Amino acid sequence: MLVASLALVGLTTFFVPLLVRYLGRFTGYPLAVVFLASAALLLVDSPEVMSGETIVQSWQWVAAFDVQFTLRLNGLALLFAMLVLGVGALVLSYAPQYLDPSYEVGRLYTVLNLFAAAMLGIVLSGDLILLLVFWEVTTLCSFLLVAGNGTAGAWAATRALVITGIGGLSLFGAVVLLAVKTQTTDIATVFAVAPERLTTTDLAIIGPLIVLAAFTKSAQLPFHFWLPGAMVAITPVSAYLHAATLVKAGIYLLLLFSPLFLDMPAWNLTLMTFGLATAVFGAFQALRQRDLKSLLAYSTVSQLGTMVALVGVGTSAALAAAALLVAAHALFKATLFMLVGIVDREAGSRDLAELSGLWRAMPITAALTGLAAMSMAGLPPLVGFVAKEEAFYSFLDTPQASWTAGQEWTGIVAAAIAVLGAALTFAYSARIFGGVFFGPLTQRKLYEPSWLFLAPAFVPAVAGLVLGVAPGLLNGIIDRTTVDVGFAMVQSDLSLWHGFSTALILSIIAITLGSILHFRRRWVMRWLGEEPPTPIAPLIFDRIWYGTLRFGAKVGRSAHTTSVGVHLFGVGVLLLGLAIIGFVVIPGAGGGLPAMIPGSAQPVDIAILALLVPAVVFLARTRSAIAALVLAGFVGLIIAVWLLLLGAPDVALTLLLVEFLTVVVAAPVLSRLPVHRDIGRSTTAAISAIVVGVVSGLAVWAFTGRREASDLSEYFLAEAEELTGGTNVVNTILVDFRGLDTLGEVTVLFAAALGLLAATAVTIRARQDAVTEVLGAGERAVLRVGARVVIPLLFIAALVLFWRGHDEPGGGFIAGLVAGAAVAVASIAGISLRIPSAFALLASGLAIALASAFIGPLVGGAALEPIKVDVPVVGSLTSSLIFDLGVLLIVVGLVRAALERLDGLGMDDEDASEDGSGDDAPSATNQATGVAS
Amino acid sequence: MTLAIAVGFLAAVGTWLVVRGGAVRLILGFILLGHAANLIIISAGGAFRREAPLVDGELLAENAADPLPQAFVLTAIVITFGVTVYLLSLVARTAKQSSKAEDESIGRIEGQAEEEGRSS
Repeated sequence: MLVASLALVGLTTFFVPLLVRYLGRFTGYPLAVVFLASAALLLVDSPEVMSGETIVQSWQWVAAFDVQFTLRLNGLALLFAMLVLGVGALVLSYAPQYLDPSYEVGRLYTVLNLFAAAMLGIVLSGDLILLLVFWEVTTLCSFLLVAGNGTAGAWAATRALVITGIGGLSLFGAVVLLAVKTQTTDIATVFAVAPERLTTTDLAIIGPLIVLAAFTKSAQLPFHFWLPGAMVAITPVSAYLHAATLVKAGIYLLLLFSPLFLDMPAWNLTLMTFGLATAVFGAFQALRQRDLKSLLAYSTVSQLGTMVALVGVGTSAALAAAALLVAAHALFKATLFMLVGIVDREAGSRDLAELSGLWRAMPITAALTGLAAMSMAGLPPLVGFVAKEEAFYSFLDTPQASWTAGQEWTGIVAAAIAVLGAALTFAYSARIFGGVFFGPLTQRKLYEPSWLFLAPAFVPAVAGLVLGVAPGLLNGIIDRTTVDVGFAMVQSDLSLWHGFSTALILSIIAITLGSILHFRRRWVMRWLGEEPPTPIAPLIFDRIWYGTLRFGAKVGRSAHTTSVGVHLFGVGVLLLGLAIIGFVVIPGAGGGLPAMIPGSAQPVDIAILALLVPAVVFLARTRSAIAALVLAGFVGLIIAVWLLLLGAPDVALTLLLVEFLTVVVAAPVLSRLPVHRDIGRSTTAAISAIVVGVVSGLAVWAFTGRREASDLSEYFLAEAEELTGGTNVVNTILVDFRGLDTLGEVTVLFAAALGLLAATAVTIRARQDAVTEVLGAGERAVLRVGARVVIPLLFIAALVLFWRGHDEPGGGFIAGLVAGAAVAVASIAGISLRIPSAFALLASGLAIALASAFIGPLVGGAALEPIKVDVPVVGSLTSSLIFDLGVLLIVVGLVRAALERLDGLGMDDEDASEDGSGDDAPSATNQATGVAS
Repeated sequence: MTLAIAVGFLAAVGTWLVVRGGAVRLILGFILLGHAANLIIISAGGAFRREAPLVDGELLAENAADPLPQAFVLTAIVITFGVTVYLLSLVARTAKQSSKAEDESIGRIEGQAEEEGRSS
């Protein structure tokens, strides 16, 4: 029933908007029923759990990381799940009466329900990853619910999100470390293998991460401030999330993981120190508040501190007391929040200075508040008293924990601080009750609220009384919880009356001290200060927050420039640093550089350099853009020849084609632009040029040509034909071995072409005009005659290169560029081709390349895996040919887009549309000469 | 050694052009830096084997150049082309916009002059 319970609440989230449409704010009632049904489903399993079994349900979830969707129900989980669902049902049946008819309830109920599902998920998770996911969902829900209360809530919600978000990251770190070190994410398995796989060092890193996660979530010093801030949320949210459940998630986490750390004194000491400090600090702050919700918030901080300290004691009795306090606190604190909400609604205020004497008008409300406040104050015969007694016992028995090495003073100190906290708790509990309900009644026309409004508070208030009188009812679940947190089965003996024990004496001291604090309030307030203090922790948070933002702005400011030099400077310095480290470290490590392999430099290279250097020098010095462009093409040609000599015919062919196309595409644009002179400082330019040149040259000299061919190279050469059926190894790498890489690269080309199409308007005639400017009519006629011969040949060449690409130099890139060259020739000669538009080419190319990736999976292989098919006559074909076709189409599309759109300046768009001729109109005008269709 | 000289030289001139500024120089510098980068990658495979990596029958793998850097460079060249084309489109666009703005301001001055002439 485990998964049914969680699924019921989780899936209900999707139907909440529908319910809200028909029921409005009354949606809370059916949701409460859902929660109760979910709780009932869990209770079906409870007899087995109570008899000592742990119920586990598991499904495969993320197979790649071996993460299971595991749900687990033990005593600890059952206790927390009952609180989540029980208090949830109460709060949701309270909300309809509390909410204004005008309140926007759709979002509230949706998020509340989602939160309940996530919170249930945390406590039922049997897997670390699952736990983490639910943990983060609760953080987000809390943010949405606090921020949902308008602008006042936004900043408080942000603070809470940042603080608890830090905790979430910390938990993430702990989960990853645990998963890596124990080789599993299953929580039960983690504990099982922990002794052998987790070293003390591991635990010393994981422990603080878990503590940080728990402290932020459960509002421990110094992260406590987000909780009082979150009180801007509406009261049902405060009652449910920020009193009963969400903030207990941290306690749950500590209880869950405490078996790992029971032998580490640092764990116990940290929890006890921070827990007790928070308990006393929170209680003092609560005493100073006037706003009832703020008072309750600080009270929650204080109680959470006590729970953390109890977990820190680390004895079975203390962990049992912590679990008991969790339950007792959920009961009385949710009740008090709901009653404060009622008072707020009825009397119009929750300021202690304005409220007085309400018991005369609202006796039932007063009685329920009294019950809950007595439980909080730790008075018999309420469950709060039992929990407090157990806590005192546990603190006194601290020396029994192994980590204290029997030091008697630890118990005395812990118990003394706990008594101080209890005394303060008594004082503020008395103040709530006395302040609101005693004294003269000043307001008129006050009435008891309807029983529907009171009932949700009535149930837990009375439950606190019943469990106080008969605490034995809780023995079973508390015992089971103790087993779950790593102890042997013990027989708890919860009872209201243990005789005149030390704990009872401590209780009497605490109550007496609390009474003095309450009845001599003036003295106390004179010492503490009359007005509620301005909390400083949020201000410190804000200072850090804005300081960080300012620091970011300062760092980012240096990049707010269009100067290329500034952007390149950092990269340059970094690379220079790396190069220096390389020069120093690498030769030093290996006793000098390995020898250069002979044959790395050959005489023909000198000839290449002799051509290259002057071409580049002229390129850098020329003032004419066209000359520079021609020289750039010449430089490219030299490098292409060199590549051919270096044994890279595919690369050489590609470079050659790209150089040609670059000149054709760039000429009309650059011909109209001057070479800008002297924008950057020439000294800067010269210095950076020399540094970059020397460093890169030295790096190439030092780091290349000094080892034999790599293993990968040998592998490709040896296996390409066998594995892919292709003999052109470069092409098989492109389309077979590294197909995904190539898919990414053609997507980049696709994106570049789209950017080009978006950045430029359609101006078609300009290129032909530009050509006409240069060429006379006669020359142009000759060009066109020649083009009609050349263009079909180029297309045929493209087909051949494409077809043989797998075995001989060629392939999709090269064939695409050759076809692009045909388009370019046509464009210069003013011939219109009947081929699809640039966009159609690009889109179909990408679609074909992507679709070919799925051929493998369809026949049971991997994505992009080459699938061989033997076709009669033609021979064997592979699916990578289809992929290469996609590459070809994208390249042609890019070239066509560039030719269409980059055709000079100064042409008005209107002229082009009037003219109506051009590449986009396939059969248009007398120039049209269909070549390929 | 020869590759190292070529890379250093191309990188130096490319950097000089880019840092010196201006749209055309930026593009030219970019092209030269692209050549330098491609030669670095090729040299990483070694320049001591200079046969094309075509494993057809009797060709011995011992003489074939490293095919992996070649595949990288091949796609890099095509991508450089894509980026160059895109840069050109941006250059064309900004140039067109500034020339249009110039035309407009000239038109406005002429209009004013005409009005002044009429009023006098």
